Amino acid sequence: MIKINSKNVDVYYGKKQALFNINLDIEENQVTALIGPSGCGKSTFLRCLNRMNDVIDICRVKGQIIINDFDINDKSCDVVRLREKIGMVFQKPNPFPKTIYENISYGPTIHGMAQSKNEMDEIVETSLKKAALWEEVKDRLHEPGTGLSGGQQQRLCIARAISVKPEVILMDEPCSALDPIATAQIEELIDELKKDHTIIIVTHSMAQAARVSQNTGFFHLGELIEHGSTDKIFKNPENKKTQDYITGRFG
Amino acid sequence: MNLILFIFIVLLGFTSYYFGRRKAYTIQSTNKRLTALPQFYGYYLAIWCAIPAFIIFSLWAIFEPTIVKLLILSDYSNQGYLDDELNLIYEKTKALSRGQFTGEITPFIEASAEKYLSLRSIAQSSKAVIVLSIIIASVAYAYKKISSNSRTREPVEKFLKAVLFTASLAAILTTVGIVFSLIFQTIDFFKVIPLFDFVFGTHWYPAKAFVRDSSEALDPTMYSDTFGAVPIFAGTFFIAFIAMCVAIPIGLMSGIYLAEYASVKVRQYAKPLIEILAGIPTVVYGFFAALTVGPFLKEIGNSMGLDVSAESALAAGGVMGIMIIPFISSLSDDVITSVPQSLRDGSYAMGATKSETIKKVIFPAALPGIVGSILLGVSRAIGETMIVVMASGLAANLTLNPLESTSTITAQIVVILIGDQAFGDPKTQAAFALGMSLFLVTLCLNIVALRVVKKYREKYE
Repeated sequence: MIKINSKNVDVYYGKKQALFNINLDIEENQVTALIGPSGCGKSTFLRCLNRMNDVIDICRVKGQIIINDFDINDKSCDVVRLREKIGMVFQKPNPFPKTIYENISYGPTIHGMAQSKNEMDEIVETSLKKAALWEEVKDRLHEPGTGLSGGQQQRLCIARAISVKPEVILMDEPCSALDPIATAQIEELIDELKKDHTIIIVTHSMAQAARVSQNTGFFHLGELIEHGSTDKIFKNPENKKTQDYITGRFG
Repeated sequence: MNLILFIFIVLLGFTSYYFGRRKAYTIQSTNKRLTALPQFYGYYLAIWCAIPAFIIFSLWAIFEPTIVKLLILSDYSNQGYLDDELNLIYEKTKALSRGQFTGEITPFIEASAEKYLSLRSIAQSSKAVIVLSIIIASVAYAYKKISSNSRTREPVEKFLKAVLFTASLAAILTTVGIVFSLIFQTIDFFKVIPLFDFVFGTHWYPAKAFVRDSSEALDPTMYSDTFGAVPIFAGTFFIAFIAMCVAIPIGLMSGIYLAEYASVKVRQYAKPLIEILAGIPTVVYGFFAALTVGPFLKEIGNSMGLDVSAESALAAGGVMGIMIIPFISSLSDDVITSVPQSLRDGSYAMGATKSETIKKVIFPAALPGIVGSILLGVSRAIGETMIVVMASGLAANLTLNPLESTSTITAQIVVILIGDQAFGDPKTQAAFALGMSLFLVTLCLNIVALRVVKKYREKYE
């Protein structure tokens, strides 16, 4: 089933066009990997999906991105509601300078999701459990989140993202600042999370894309060159550029 | 004479730098590896020029006057003069040699003056000769000593370290000196005025001390009810409080606007404009407060049937607050801007609005810096003098009515020290006691500020 349907998406930074006519469908409850060399626009595309490009003054987005039969680029779209439905995890772990508990309760509080302290405790616990962090931090929930290790911080950020029960989770190179062990943990987590969430992950690691994703899109110079099932892209790419990139001939 | 000598030594320094470097190049050209870059050889020689020059100059400055004085006064020894009289003779001699003597010129003094002049010129020329010869000798010695494997980089680095150390030492020693002079004068003051009267007395009326004729004997009882510092401490904190009530909200809000809401263009113009406020001399704020705000408040008050003094704490505090706005606004703007963008992104991605992000993420993260900027503003407010002197009057009333006039510590120091003062007089020493207490207050404030900042740092980083 198609979760996100993007039609003719163009993105401009000032006068420079960063994305050209992107048409990409994202399958529900699957992991979609976006790969491509640096500066090819895959992160820009990812940020279109929860309108994070609004934060950048000079950025303009054209085209349609339809989620749940609704165009998120339409004027009537409420960005606050949109971002509640579409969570995001960033390249560098960015926990708030607050306690672990407050990091998780942040989203549910601003969206008014818990009526009582008990409910909030429950949300915090399930989110941390889902992010496979609960066992490590359950005794120090009220210590600063910034005191955790890099891998733990990133899982805290994932827990923060899933605390508001988003339908989609966007991940922008979530493992690029982590060591191999922490990376393996996050990848395992992604596999687990796809049961309840649709996941789109930008990655520079071809191996990671092959390991975690069911679908892959290959970007090059702002264009979507090829997309399809990960198996097909990696074993049997149609486009020569894709093949060159996959086999490591450029990028 | 000294200037020419100095220029000459500087030129010598440059020359020795040049020779040092040239020797290094020569060594290099014989395919030997140097232990340091050629410049270091140059600096090394220049230091060998500077240090002896500095030492001789300082020794000369210390000993020359003493020796000259001894030689001049040796003519007058065994004639039964007292020490004071000898000093007077010496001063007359110096004045006459400079052509500034106006009294009766005796042949003795005239002879001494001539001797003084000749001694000075001998001293000057011998200084020049000694300095130059020692410098040349030391540079020549160092020049001969340097070779391909001599150490030049380490001594140069050490010398630089010593120079920097001396500079910071000078700053520290000055501070220590000021504090000690405050302490001793304050102790003297409290010998006359009991500490209890100063700290808990409610009457500050130093004018009473002005009427004392200095020839009268010092009678401590006449100062009772003169130096009670409670009214001016109260006034200081009261006016600072009014100022901060104006400055903190406006400053913080404009800082947040500039950092988070203003477009790049607006910020580009608005920030320097606000910072211009900080460049206005406080005297200008002072007469603004005294001539515009004060009378304006009085008029408004009178029309509402309130009794408002033309010089009121409100006028002084309000204008002082305006003066402090740019400090708080500009500093908190800087602090907020330096909160990493990734935290903002994280918050926006959770669906937080701008104001929620500011309130819950950015403000807490920036809090240590914001507290710092506020405390800086408070110490400005407590130390501010001119606005108070001009707009709030000099009468130290003990009042908490912002519409009445009141006075502050700094304003009273001005009152006490304007015009003629005698050292060792209680009214002069009172200024030192006030300065000391002001120093203690700001010191405590700084310590509290550091504590607060540290506490939040630990929590948020």
